[in-house]
Amino acid sequence: MPDLLARLAELLQSGLGNLAAYLAAHVLLCLLPAFLIAGGLTALVPKESVTRFLGRNAPKYVSYPAAAVGGFVLAVCSCTILPLFASIYRKGAGLGPAITFLFVGPAINILALSYTGVALGMDIALARLVLSIVFGIGIGLIMAIIFRRDDATRDQNANDGFVGQAKVSGRVWLFLGLLLALLIVGTLQVGLFTNSYAQITLPIAGMDRFQETLYRWVPFDASRGEEGVTAQGAILIGLLGLIALTAWRGLSRVDEGYNRWTWVSLGLIALTLIVAATRMAPHAGGLDIQLTGKMFGVIAVMAGAWYTARRYYEDYEVQEFLWETWRFVKQIFPLLIVGVFVVGALRPLIKPEWVQAMAGSNTVWANLVGVAFGVFMYFPTLVEVPIANLFLSLGMHRGPLLAYLMSDPELSLQSILITASVIGRLKAWTYVVWVALFSALAGLIYGAWVDGTSLALLLLYLAAGLAVLVAALTWANRRQKARPISVPASAESRG
Amino acid sequence: MIEIKVLGIGCPKCKRLEQIAQEAVTEAGVQATIVHVTNMQKIMEYPIVSTPGLVINEELKSSGRLPRKEEVVAWIKEAQS
Repeated sequence: MPDLLARLAELLQSGLGNLAAYLAAHVLLCLLPAFLIAGGLTALVPKESVTRFLGRNAPKYVSYPAAAVGGFVLAVCSCTILPLFASIYRKGAGLGPAITFLFVGPAINILALSYTGVALGMDIALARLVLSIVFGIGIGLIMAIIFRRDDATRDQNANDGFVGQAKVSGRVWLFLGLLLALLIVGTLQVGLFTNSYAQITLPIAGMDRFQETLYRWVPFDASRGEEGVTAQGAILIGLLGLIALTAWRGLSRVDEGYNRWTWVSLGLIALTLIVAATRMAPHAGGLDIQLTGKMFGVIAVMAGAWYTARRYYEDYEVQEFLWETWRFVKQIFPLLIVGVFVVGALRPLIKPEWVQAMAGSNTVWANLVGVAFGVFMYFPTLVEVPIANLFLSLGMHRGPLLAYLMSDPELSLQSILITASVIGRLKAWTYVVWVALFSALAGLIYGAWVDGTSLALLLLYLAAGLAVLVAALTWANRRQKARPISVPASAESRG
Repeated sequence: MIEIKVLGIGCPKCKRLEQIAQEAVTEAGVQATIVHVTNMQKIMEYPIVSTPGLVINEELKSSGRLPRKEEVVAWIKEAQS
């Protein structure tokens, strides 16, 4: 019995350790700005600025890239992806671009991208971005070729929704640019930002004992890249708690107007970012706080964003931006925390040998295992990242890891069913098969790069593959025009 | 009697829009029914690109964004006259 208790305590500590690592300074410096950017994109960028490229009459060389890149602006959560997917399919540019949008959306959104970059490495984030754009367009083209008759049978009514002339104005670029700068200053590891330019010492006695207590509560293994809870981490966690309390009252209904709590929570958010950007060293005499270039950068960028918001925006726009941001946090963050904790607690239970045997090297089989895991497991937004990190630390090869990361947000049984209700079962399952194949392929390609294959050669293959698909679609379209279909509706176009 | 429809598949924004519509109806002081349409087929019958959408007396007033309460009140008054 004591054995079991000790075992449970170990799992609990492992979970807490993981949580601490994910609430550490460098992760917050990435996540907080990413949430702000997501809120800004949703609230301030008019959807028509992208959807006007996705109308029925848009030429293919416009609609496919627009569908691929549009996910960045439009698709921060799945609840906007599916309605947009349905309307692009039924009333807009058709099946191909709709599929491209559906595929690229989850992979390209700012939250997933920056979180992947900080937790797993920028190379894998970049691979996820580039490969999902290329393969998204590829799968869209393939679907359009396979079901080319279908496009002729959809309803031909023009849709006013796709003809707006809205453009993204200069002030939106400026504001989003500043938020992006906040993200970059906070996460970029260059000397200019990481150097310390001044130091202040807070004379709090017993800081070293505080730090030791924290390490005792949450033991960690530095050889496995774990960090444990630092004094700074504890302060940040405290600040996050305070933000949660004040934001609940200050931001939940901020679209109706500011109140006192709004300013308190905004102040706390700024303070959290500043604290996270410093470096702290506890010792017996107190707490050394090193003022890094990062900290000055963060302060400067935040001041700029504040000025822009006050000077160029109406109150109600800023309020909507804050409301959207808080909504994302409320929707994603609690699940993320639970997910990270559970992942950490499970870690001691999984033997590295299992993972290494299944996916330790970059083989076709290993990549398919990665994809299968992604399809059958459903994790809330962003939780796929700590899961991937778990596998990585247990010895999974980065190639199959990417295969998993690509397929997980795209394919879950739930999203397959909803997709089927829009485009019909046959098309939905065809899509699933292609996504599985392409995700495995993406893993293989990236894995080959990790193992040393030259980048130029891989890019050449990718470009050639895409060119073949474009040629095939052009050919198929031409043939269809030459020989009009006499029997219209196909049996399965019930969706 | 004014008929208001909120189009959305149950995302937080759609729920918020329903609240806003409810408050706007109270503020305008009119008789109105508010229906939350969640069926994708029905939603797609309107010229809508992205949710949430607001329909007043079968006319689409806004889509893809949260309108402000004052806007909704104005639309309701317009529909009534």
